[in-house]
Amino acid sequence: MRDTITTTIDKAAMALGGGLILLGVVGLGIVEVLAGPPYGAAPTTNDAGEVIATPMVDANLRVFLVVAGLVVLLAWQVYRIAATAGGEDATQRVEMTAD
Amino acid sequence: MATNTANPLAEEFAFDIGGPVAKYWVALLRVITGWYFFHAGVTKIIESGFNYAGATGYLQGMTGTALGPLPVWMANNLAWLVKPGVPLFETLIGLGIMFGALTRLAAFGGAIFMTLFWVGNGGYGHGLVTGDFQTLLIFVTLAALAAGRYYGLDAVLEQTALVERHPKLKYLLG
Repeated sequence: MRDTITTTIDKAAMALGGGLILLGVVGLGIVEVLAGPPYGAAPTTNDAGEVIATPMVDANLRVFLVVAGLVVLLAWQVYRIAATAGGEDATQRVEMTAD
Repeated sequence: MATNTANPLAEEFAFDIGGPVAKYWVALLRVITGWYFFHAGVTKIIESGFNYAGATGYLQGMTGTALGPLPVWMANNLAWLVKPGVPLFETLIGLGIMFGALTRLAAFGGAIFMTLFWVGNGGYGHGLVTGDFQTLLIFVTLAALAAGRYYGLDAVLEQTALVERHPKLKYLLG
């Protein structure tokens, strides 16, 4: 079966799903780097365990965006499974009279 | 996917079964993996410039690993290369993978890094297949699939006259 992407729904799902994932990982990652330390997604603590610096963007928000993107892609594939025609038996049954 | 096994350099590599979805996902996987390395490299440059002392310390800590004395020897004798090389190559590998430029060369470099991380970080409590090993496999997969040909710059670079004249460059592109 050759896969084809033709509908607006397909294109929208690919753009939205991938866009959310890239926004969470790369887009806000660039913001985090430009905003200065900490460059990771977790707060920085000192030896006493006290938080001395927090990321500009909450890591939970970034994770939520990525999960939302994955959910969009999952929903899109479920839709495609439901919307794709095929699988029916194309063989016609014909009544045959016995000799 | 279709490949020409008689002459792999002449292949018209293409996904037949996965189609556009496979191309889309390989490109997405490429950008995220590239970002992982670019972030690791560029933040080291911001914080330490091209003199990342943590690199030699990490290698010196790799005693008693499967790589034998090699990491410690590298730390003691190749510090001039390792200290600037780790942030520089992580950044360049990340950019190459993200934009799909010289993808196979970049993926080879990423696989070298991930092999050191996999061995150095250890943590085999749940088996040999760790997160580092999975990332190592992703780099190999990106090279095997010629991931740069899908929404990447290698799709353009491979059409240039230079690559047409020297098809072996596709071992570095793709």
